[in-house]
Amino acid sequence: MARISTKTLSRYLFQGQLPRRGCLSLWQAHSSIRPCPVASIPSARSLRQLRTDASLTQRDPAPVHVPLRKQLKDEAKKAKASGKKKTKNVDNQVVDGWELTVGIEIHAQLNTARKLFSAATTSFNDQPNSHVAYFDLATPGSQPIFQKETLIPALRAALALNCDIQPVSRFDRKHYFHWDQPSGYQITQFYEPFARNGRIMLQPRDGIAAEDGDGISIGIKQVQMEQDTAKTMAQPGDVQWVDFNRTGVPLIEIITLPDIHHPATAAAFVRKVQILLNAVDSCVSGMEAGGLRADVNVSVRRSDDPSAPLGTRTEIKNLSSFKAVEDAIIAERDRQISILEAGGIIAGETRGWSIGSTETRRLRGKEGEVDYRYMPDPDLSPVIIGDDLVSHLRTAMGQLPDAEVDELIQEFGITSKDALSLVALDGGNRIEYFWNVVDALSARLGFDSPETLACYQLAANWILHELGRLTASHQTDSAQPLEFTPEGQCERVPVKHLVDIVISLHQRKITAKVAKELLWVVYRGTIPREYASVREAIEKENMWFQELSEAEYEVLARSAVEGQDDVVAQFVDCKQYPTGKLMFLVGRMMRLGPEEKIDPKNAESVMRRFLKTYVVELKSKPS
Amino acid sequence: MSGIRHCRVKLPPVALTTPGRRLVSKYPVSFEPNAQHVHEVNCYISGGPSAENFSDLSREKREQAKSAIKSAVREEKELKFNRLAVKDNIAVQGLPTTCASRILRGHEIPFTATVVKQWETYNAAIVRGKTNMDEFGMGSHSTASAYGPVSNVHPLEGRSPGGSSGGSAAAVRIRDSKDALGTDTGGSIRIPAAYTCTYGFKPSYGMLSRWGVVPYANSLDTVGIIARQLERITKMIQNLYHKHDPNDPTSLPNSVRERGIGLQSHPKNGRLDGFTFGVPIEYNIEELDSRIRTGWTQALEKIQELGGRVVPISLPSTKHALSAYYIIAPAEAASNLSKYDGIRYGKRDDGTASDAVDGVLYANTRGAGFGAEVKRRILLGSYTLSSEAMNNHFIQAQKVRQLVRRDFDRVFVLSNPLKDEEVFDLSDMDGSVVLENKLGPSQVDFVVCPTAPTPPPSLEDVAKQTPLDAYMNDVFTVPASLAGLPALSMPMDIPRVPALGTADMGFGGLQLIGQFWDDARLLAVAGHLAPVISTETFMAQSRFHKHLAGE
Repeated sequence: MARISTKTLSRYLFQGQLPRRGCLSLWQAHSSIRPCPVASIPSARSLRQLRTDASLTQRDPAPVHVPLRKQLKDEAKKAKASGKKKTKNVDNQVVDGWELTVGIEIHAQLNTARKLFSAATTSFNDQPNSHVAYFDLATPGSQPIFQKETLIPALRAALALNCDIQPVSRFDRKHYFHWDQPSGYQITQFYEPFARNGRIMLQPRDGIAAEDGDGISIGIKQVQMEQDTAKTMAQPGDVQWVDFNRTGVPLIEIITLPDIHHPATAAAFVRKVQILLNAVDSCVSGMEAGGLRADVNVSVRRSDDPSAPLGTRTEIKNLSSFKAVEDAIIAERDRQISILEAGGIIAGETRGWSIGSTETRRLRGKEGEVDYRYMPDPDLSPVIIGDDLVSHLRTAMGQLPDAEVDELIQEFGITSKDALSLVALDGGNRIEYFWNVVDALSARLGFDSPETLACYQLAANWILHELGRLTASHQTDSAQPLEFTPEGQCERVPVKHLVDIVISLHQRKITAKVAKELLWVVYRGTIPREYASVREAIEKENMWFQELSEAEYEVLARSAVEGQDDVVAQFVDCKQYPTGKLMFLVGRMMRLGPEEKIDPKNAESVMRRFLKTYVVELKSKPS
Repeated sequence: MSGIRHCRVKLPPVALTTPGRRLVSKYPVSFEPNAQHVHEVNCYISGGPSAENFSDLSREKREQAKSAIKSAVREEKELKFNRLAVKDNIAVQGLPTTCASRILRGHEIPFTATVVKQWETYNAAIVRGKTNMDEFGMGSHSTASAYGPVSNVHPLEGRSPGGSSGGSAAAVRIRDSKDALGTDTGGSIRIPAAYTCTYGFKPSYGMLSRWGVVPYANSLDTVGIIARQLERITKMIQNLYHKHDPNDPTSLPNSVRERGIGLQSHPKNGRLDGFTFGVPIEYNIEELDSRIRTGWTQALEKIQELGGRVVPISLPSTKHALSAYYIIAPAEAASNLSKYDGIRYGKRDDGTASDAVDGVLYANTRGAGFGAEVKRRILLGSYTLSSEAMNNHFIQAQKVRQLVRRDFDRVFVLSNPLKDEEVFDLSDMDGSVVLENKLGPSQVDFVVCPTAPTPPPSLEDVAKQTPLDAYMNDVFTVPASLAGLPALSMPMDIPRVPALGTADMGFGGLQLIGQFWDDARLLAVAGHLAPVISTETFMAQSRFHKHLAGE
């Protein structure tokens, strides 16, 4: 490394007070550097520090000030040049020569009024330690009382996951010490869970990896009920606060078979489970609210020998978003492969993942693993689930999201992307709103006419996109959310008003622009505040679509083409008019004429007709 | 049928005596208690006759307790008969519940146990104090207490009062309390009763509520009663026979309680005609003290004199019962005691600053807070529950437990109301089972056996015992615990050894075991038997009758 002269150093060390004769000369010269507090204490330690500092700085090249923005820009440029661009997940599902195997455990908070073993109510973000029974605190001498009602959402979940409900299941204690676990054990179902042998189908529309083709079936080994732990809130100064409101809140744990081989499919599975649990009302808060957490087990093996046993697996704990599931699996897969390719071996261990990182980190190894000493809880009798209850819940469960999506696609001709969004939005409330709109439309227009079907599609489009635009736009009054109720109502945009708008639009009694304005009028409450109905608003504001006559259109077309001969010239001898140019001319028509009286489609067809004759005119014109 | 081997009936040797022999008291039966005696036997941890024992309480609580005692003293006359001593693992609001453990020193449970409330309601009982015990109920001599050992009552000072409910038994024996509540996991009520010449009853599992009872081994823990008079036990059981407690998940629901009351032919006119008593041949063990064996034999004679039929029976699983018990109970204990980690429960050991990151945050607290026996059982239980030992120990022990229950179900005339009627095929039976006739072995109403193999041993001898020897002491009491059956220990006369002088009071414990939920009949039969097998009971009863007659 190049030696840097003391002259250079002195310019920025010790505010320029460093003598040129070198560091050691400090001994004699400390009076001359009085402003520097470090140097003014002539102790051995400060001296040593000083030396170290100096020598360190000496080894580094003199820093040149670079603005941060420029630095980031340069780095990005460099990365681009070297081709080290971060690979997109979609292109990173498979590593040649290796097979990935993933099993998932999902913990989901059940939607229940009471805790699993006490009559204390469940709560979310209430005053800490305000919903706690003696048993939740493991008070000596208190005992668990199983709350039968918690079975209902648990069973619904298991049915939605196509599980076999076990007629007899039992509770076991899982022992480990932690302050969030006042009894020293968690009550779960280890030996005899209440549901087994489930299965869910994932389709391409669920977002599985392209490599999984037309669909994949993921087996579910078991579903068990268990207690949640207390919530720890870290405070400054190494202090932890513990909120026991969450202690004993019922959870279900869903354990899959190792059927997953692609990271995107794993994420799709977790998303699908969340949608399903939500649809059957088992679990109302999703991953984003902490109501659902996933642990993934990851292993890799070389793909040349399919009979080889699965590789050693590692477990990544506590993933809290769909993206984290996919990213963590990719990172862990790549880590394992690079270890194996370097001739190493994988240690069975527990690892963690932080959002945004590129590597999993080790939490504890096999030797640090706890033996949970599972023991049947001697206070709790077996849970006996009758066939009558199961079959009642099965019939009362209603349509599952997959069947609903299928219906939307097949019966209503809605694209699968839109259908999925409709079902997933607002925790299933948005689709209920859609069904209400469908009911209202069919009541107004009759069931089977092609017109009604077209209206359904238009309504779906509006419910998904135009309603979304209301809250997404930057208007100040769009801050308030739409708030769909579970019954599928929306106070801000009542079903009947939307139906009025959709029908008027479809029948071309108003233009799309007017329709959108009307939606804002409804959203802001101007209907019914100032106008009784949508119809009255149109009426009073004179917004009915009064279209130009054929002759008026032609006049408009002629004036639009005027002076545009060079454009029209490109239409000469064309079998098909160039769309861009045609629309340019139509656009001119709209600008020139009264816009609210023009239907763009009609304008276009008039323009086409007009051009046919006009081109001939143009050709015959002497140039 | 080839599996059946005929066995010779091996009854304990029966010494024939003249029927109708008059019982004469040879020794003083009672003495008046005072605070001095109470201190000598060390039977209370908190409460009791003086306020000195309240060192665990805060100043304010101490004052409250003192004034409570003062008013209690004022009402001494009325309350004397209904003082209730409560074992220190049963919660009483206002008094600490420490289970005689250092780790729970001063700990108060903020509610009162259901059983204590029931005693207050049905018996107008007033809680006298919390009694000393083996730490968390683990022990047979009440020596493993953070508050020092309990001593047996004069003239048996220096002898074991039995455990773990030794404090409860001593408080009753010394006449400081009328009744005592205890818990029986493997004999913890019956052995103290046998060693203090009192009645100790462990009801059927699920009859008395465990809400407010700090668990040692939940599947075995049973709240029981110790009293000097059997009638007091009988009366309370009659009251509580039907009382389901919704707070206790193992409290039998009312529908099952009703189903259990089937055959109810009670003994009449002081006779036991029509009742069959089984003598389990496996219980005549080598370690049985000859005086106890003689006492047992005498009691069997008395039964026959009263018209009862005595037959030998076989309970072949008994030999494995003790091993099974010492796997199941420590396993549940290890689990139950994991909450005492110094975070929410238990005094945190602040002496050592290092809370190491590698998971031993609680080790120091637990190391300092638990006594040796508790630690031993936690280690034992943690091992038998570990994944490597689970199948070979815990699961096997649970199977033995079912065999023990089946053994009892086979010998009792009554069927177990918790089970579907079982058909016992002769070919499935152990070869040692004795057949009565070609239809199979005889069936009985009750099993009669000693409560403990010896009279109360000296505390010196107890201290010399290895833990394994100590566990042997529970050999007769553990089977009824594993099967959840009602069992009563009642005083019986045994031959005296003149060399021992006054230290030998000539009593032992006789145990009567009945089918599940046959508690009422068991107590009724015991009521007929009590005065004829125990001189002390006979004398007490005749004094009482004389008192009634106005003499």
